[in-house]
Amino acid sequence: MNEPVFFLLAFLAYVLSVLTYSGSQLFRRASWARTGFWLAVMGLVVHTLALAARTVQSGHAPFTNMYESISFLAWASALAYVLMESRFRIRRTGPYVMLIVVALMALASSPLMPKEAAPLVPALQSYWLWLHVSVTLLGEAFFAVAFVASLLFLRADARSRKPKGEEGARAAERYDAMSYRAIAVGFPLFTLGGLVFGMIWAYKAWGAYWSWDPKEVWSLITWLVFALYLHTRIVMGWKGRRSAIIAVLGFLAALFTYFGVNYLLTGLHSYA
Amino acid sequence: MKTVWRFLSSVKLAIVLFIVLTLASILGTLIPQQWTPAGYQAHYGSLSRVITGIDLDRLYQSAWFIGLLLLFGFNLVVCSLTRLAPKLRKTFGSAWTIDARELASQKMRESFTKRLGLEAFIAAARVELGRRRFRLATKSESGSTLLRARKQTLGLFGSDIVHLGILVILTGGILSGFGKYGSEISISEGQIVPVPSRAVSLRLDKFETEYYPAGAVKAWKSTITVFDGGVPLLTRTISVNHPLSYKGVVFYQSSYGWDWEKPALELRVKKKSDSSFLKTIRLKPGGKAALDDGTVVAAMRFLPDFVIGADNEPATRTWEPKNPAILLEGYRKDVRVFSRWIFAKYPEFVHAGGSDELDLAFELTSYQAPQFSVLQAASDPGAPVIWAGCVILMLGLTFSFYWRPREIKLILEPREGPSVAVSAAGLASKGRERFEEEFASIMAVLRRAS
Repeated sequence: MNEPVFFLLAFLAYVLSVLTYSGSQLFRRASWARTGFWLAVMGLVVHTLALAARTVQSGHAPFTNMYESISFLAWASALAYVLMESRFRIRRTGPYVMLIVVALMALASSPLMPKEAAPLVPALQSYWLWLHVSVTLLGEAFFAVAFVASLLFLRADARSRKPKGEEGARAAERYDAMSYRAIAVGFPLFTLGGLVFGMIWAYKAWGAYWSWDPKEVWSLITWLVFALYLHTRIVMGWKGRRSAIIAVLGFLAALFTYFGVNYLLTGLHSYA
Repeated sequence: MKTVWRFLSSVKLAIVLFIVLTLASILGTLIPQQWTPAGYQAHYGSLSRVITGIDLDRLYQSAWFIGLLLLFGFNLVVCSLTRLAPKLRKTFGSAWTIDARELASQKMRESFTKRLGLEAFIAAARVELGRRRFRLATKSESGSTLLRARKQTLGLFGSDIVHLGILVILTGGILSGFGKYGSEISISEGQIVPVPSRAVSLRLDKFETEYYPAGAVKAWKSTITVFDGGVPLLTRTISVNHPLSYKGVVFYQSSYGWDWEKPALELRVKKKSDSSFLKTIRLKPGGKAALDDGTVVAAMRFLPDFVIGADNEPATRTWEPKNPAILLEGYRKDVRVFSRWIFAKYPEFVHAGGSDELDLAFELTSYQAPQFSVLQAASDPGAPVIWAGCVILMLGLTFSFYWRPREIKLILEPREGPSVAVSAAGLASKGRERFEEEFASIMAVLRRAS
């Protein structure tokens, strides 16, 4: 078996995971959510095999072009979700996070993404490629979980304001906590992978740790938004709505750092 | 004055600065940086005055943006210092005390009387809490003994350590801004080039480009010898991602190029009237070659990447041989009989201005120029400071997100018997649920202690 087969099986497991998760909410079958979770775990395992096969076949890290890095981001998001889920047990976020994973997998398998493993250009031949990209994308995956939890918070919060909204209020509190916990994991990872490892690698490859390259600036912007989230929350005691909105903006900034900069702005990072 | 100071040292200012710095940074990615004034004029019209007027064309280097960063650093210093001193005193000062009311107000608390001597109980508590990696402090006050056990106390200072890290990074940035040195060195094989404003010279021993089987570039490698005071000291091969550091100067493989001043050109000459006629001539720009029929061919000009420029004149677009072209002129008895551009990649193409009646046909079959390597010599006194700041920053983030400061406070009052009345409370700002379990099991052990 080779990489495309593993990739397809993972894709399938993720789709089934979304379907069973959604089914569990639609038909109110709690046990289906368990199945959904285990399908996500299965998808993750097979996806790991796909990434490993890709690495063996290409001889370099499995995130050097758009197809590879989107697939890796999907993997990281599934991993972040499985970790958060097994700790917090809020099954309701399941279908939404897994929907993002499925969307990423679909995007990766679209014909627009060239799938050939190209040999590495000189600038990318470094073990910092592994450290910088994988840790950054893992951090962004946790931001994705926080994003979903925050959106669900906003929905639950709106419901809690209506009459008989006690259930909504309870759910909202859990989403708020989940969003914060995801950021508490994602923020240090993103700082380490995106900014610290990025600066070290830039210094080794380009001779300058910081060049105000658009990708660097957008990483800084993402970092500033989440720093704002943490300060308003911890020092000013913001919770709930405003916190959730900042978390959503932070993920959008991370998304723009990842996609937008490549397609809309030009700079030193134009190969990734 | 006081209100100004209060604002400068407030978290509110920090939040305002987060937002302002974010918006300014976004603006800098939307407006292309470091263009020429004419470029902005062409692209933005009358808006270009505003752009260049408030330095939006070099936003990240502008006085106002750096001013914002400095204000951010200042706010960070003042914010941290005003909060840190009382916090340090409270946590590590010797004037700590525990009063019964404080314990009574905690949610996590227990009180019991234990049939055990005071010393024996303290010894038992020391063993149990020590086993769980708590650090103990004891104190006697008005007949009762106070016991304070803490662990992961650094977690209380995580954010302060993060702020210190950021200040160190900002300091590194300032040092880089003032002391950064960088210089590009173009060097051909065998050449010795002094490194500008350093007592060091470089010799390029070898430059090679390695290719993948499919043709893509795999590596550029320069083997260089460093001369210090005229003495060859070390020879190393550097490539992208593998620089060489010598006495604080780091040498990077930055780029490469061709020296098109005097390329070795090879032309194949054919005659339309005589298909058996075939001649190869080798020459350099400025050189001449005579054909058998008395025609003298002169290579007037060579361009590696031919393009018709904005002024309608031939020019080169890049320095890479993407569209090599040579301007040939032919003379017969000192009379110019033709002048035309020959393109290596388009042998059939005849320049519109050239006459097609000419019997001769030329092909540019080879163009060889010596390659040179472009190295970058850089030294950055801020870099080590930045790395130190990064380590501090990451330690701080680890402490603030993953250290869970826990504190157990006990008041022990000796009673007749001998026995001891114990009241205890647990304090934690993070991870309370787990701590509640730990607190309960510690209390269970202390109740059973003998």
